Amino acid sequence: MTTLAKAGAPALRSLLRHREASVLIMLLAIAVFLAFSNEYFLSSRNLLNVGRQASVVAIVALGQALVIIARGIDLSVGSVIGVSAVVAAVVLQATGIQSLGLLVGLLTGLVCGIANGLMVTRLRINPFIATLGMLSVARGIALLVTGGIPVMFTGWAEFLGAGRIWQIPVSFILMLILALAVHILATRHRLGREIYAIGDNPKAARLAGIDLKKTRLFVFGFCGCLAGLGGVILAGNLASADPNLGMGYELDVIAAVILGGTALNGGRGSIIGVVIGAMLMALLNNAFVLLGISAYWQVVTKGLVIIIAVGIDGLQRREDDE
Amino acid sequence: MQSATRQGEEDGGGGNAVPTLPFVRLSNISKSFGSVSVLEDVSFEIRPGEVVGLLGENGAGKSTLMKIVSGEHAPDGGRVEIEGSEVQLASVGEGIARGISFVHQELSVVGALSVAENLSLGDLPRNRMGFVDRSRMRELASERLARIGAQAIRPEQETGLLRAGEQQLVEIARAAARNPKLLILDEPTSSLTPREVESFIQYVETARSAGTAIIFITHRLDEAIRLCDRILVLRNGEIVSEKPSSEVTRDGIISDMTGKPAMFEYARTPEVHDRTVLSLRSVGDGDLIEDITLDVAEGEILGLFGLVGAGRTELLETIFGARRMAAGRMEFCGERAQFAKPTEAMTRGMAIVPEGRKTAGILPQHSVRSNMSISSLGSMSPGGIVDRTREASQSSGYRDSLSIRMADDRQLIGTLSGGNQQKVLFARALMTNPKLLLLDEPTHGVDVGAKSEIYEIISNAADQGLAVIMASSEIPEIMALCDRVAVLSLGRLVGIVDRAALSEQRLLSLAFEGHV
Repeated sequence: MTTLAKAGAPALRSLLRHREASVLIMLLAIAVFLAFSNEYFLSSRNLLNVGRQASVVAIVALGQALVIIARGIDLSVGSVIGVSAVVAAVVLQATGIQSLGLLVGLLTGLVCGIANGLMVTRLRINPFIATLGMLSVARGIALLVTGGIPVMFTGWAEFLGAGRIWQIPVSFILMLILALAVHILATRHRLGREIYAIGDNPKAARLAGIDLKKTRLFVFGFCGCLAGLGGVILAGNLASADPNLGMGYELDVIAAVILGGTALNGGRGSIIGVVIGAMLMALLNNAFVLLGISAYWQVVTKGLVIIIAVGIDGLQRREDDE
Repeated sequence: MQSATRQGEEDGGGGNAVPTLPFVRLSNISKSFGSVSVLEDVSFEIRPGEVVGLLGENGAGKSTLMKIVSGEHAPDGGRVEIEGSEVQLASVGEGIARGISFVHQELSVVGALSVAENLSLGDLPRNRMGFVDRSRMRELASERLARIGAQAIRPEQETGLLRAGEQQLVEIARAAARNPKLLILDEPTSSLTPREVESFIQYVETARSAGTAIIFITHRLDEAIRLCDRILVLRNGEIVSEKPSSEVTRDGIISDMTGKPAMFEYARTPEVHDRTVLSLRSVGDGDLIEDITLDVAEGEILGLFGLVGAGRTELLETIFGARRMAAGRMEFCGERAQFAKPTEAMTRGMAIVPEGRKTAGILPQHSVRSNMSISSLGSMSPGGIVDRTREASQSSGYRDSLSIRMADDRQLIGTLSGGNQQKVLFARALMTNPKLLLLDEPTHGVDVGAKSEIYEIISNAADQGLAVIMASSEIPEIMALCDRVAVLSLGRLVGIVDRAALSEQRLLSLAFEGHV
């Protein structure tokens, strides 16, 4: 729950609650259905796997949520995942320094994010177009750097992506820690409050003294950095950085954010909702595998989920208007 | 007051042999928005071939009255008759079907389309294949432009690239093309060149003799007197005078337009203000304002008066860093200042209550408390984390001191009345402890009770040593609060009036300076 919801009006609180609750109910319904239809679902091995799958989507969605709350969008996250993983792996291979590889992965993401932010704030390019361009540029760089061939990526990255602490995936623990941190940032930190204000009414926020450019630059940079981390985790899990890694990930990430109740036109959304949304996406993926349904249907379903989630949001807003 | 029309009805002839039946007759029209009454018991009529000038201060109700005539608003009370039968126009479309065309002050041409396309919008000529007949469209456009004497505009030109005045002419040509029986023009000549004005006046004469009734809303008094048969003055939603233009004078109109004594009495003891807080020297934005030189001292309320488009908002924005200062020099608290963005202005000790509460003021999805604290988070967030106890206590402090009425400061700001929302914006500005407070139409759309409370807030702020610049188009408000008034006209400073010399007449005649 955001401060907005806790401190906000009862009407808003119930709306947000309603939104998170409905996603939570959907999540539980699918879980119960799977538990009855497939004996393997409830095994700890499977559940932990779902958790691991959810964590990369959730980590990147944390950054995406802040971008969308500030009335932007970042379509480039999938490609940034790919390029960060590849650059990190190449640097690691060249130097053999584990910490450097990891750091370079995060930095690559950060640089892409800041480039997005600068295009939006300085050149006034619409975020949709700026990040669509970055989607192509970043993927192209990943392919150029590797010549299209996957690079081996082991060591610390493998620990992040495939490691476990007391049976729990490291990436899942990392996701929970980051979610808590971003939740606090969003609800308790000055910066988070200003992000919400910008998304709510940019003109008013500017005249209230908020530095629009700086704040927007931050959200894009932060989102890029988390996508870089996502790339390292994802590649670490496979012990290999594929230049095509993370292709189409933007869809899962944006779907998770929207499913979690974040308004596409900004100013509204909660971090807990985003995490639940990411879980739901991972559970859907898992369901297709367990039920043995064609992976092609999975692609169709993901698209439908995003359309339905946004559709519900639109319907609700229309009621608000009336 | 309304005897002139009554007489007209009897003799029926008049100068232009007008028929007896008025085209539009309004009887006892009233209209209010929320608790604000905009029109009270307004009656007025216009016959075919008559040209009526509608004058009044900003906010007098001119536009609302015309929106009722054109079908955009429905009146709360009273009758509207068109050609003798009572009607209830449900939309602008119905009004147009009845022969009423309203050319608004805000342009509604589509910038990306050509002039010809704009002139045929909604009724594009088609050839037999069903495609747009371009040559026919161009012909129509030239014809329509020539009609209002604007043949200098080329039909194939992209409308957005035209000057504001030319766009205005396209707009008028579009309205005239419908052959309306009543043409309402809101400030039609404000951005035209003298030559364009002449051709336009010729069109008005032609249309008049063809039997079109025309209502003019204008700030150009001389032009109104010259062009109109009758002049109608609105003040605070009531018609205060209606005379044939042969019987009115410029001064007479101005004194009709000004009016009621201020409801909040000026009660400040103008102390000797010697500590200058802000000084501007030849400041301009390179576009809408230029060469503004003025000083504001600690504890002083400086009024900023002018007609619509005089550059009041632009000047405040330039001071606040929301608009680029292209020329001149600004000093704030004794130091050179030039702000690239409002954030910088606020850190240095300025705060603004902007014009347009909904568009530029409130954060609609935020609570009242968050709306108040948003500008002060820096000072209440040690280590970046917002101290919520402090936020709550600050909020409740301002809630009491500005008497903001609400159940709980955690409710959404949209649930408050306009006046209380405005007070929240004052709380937001004051919470930052500014040295200079910029106010733009601080009581716009606020009911009478809240107005005087806001006056008290402003007056108290100045008493505590704040320098205040208050832009307002309401003269009573300026009279009630200001120690000095700077008057702008067409982006230039035309005079600074001291309290002792302050009168409505003086302000208005200065504001009209440069308007032919």
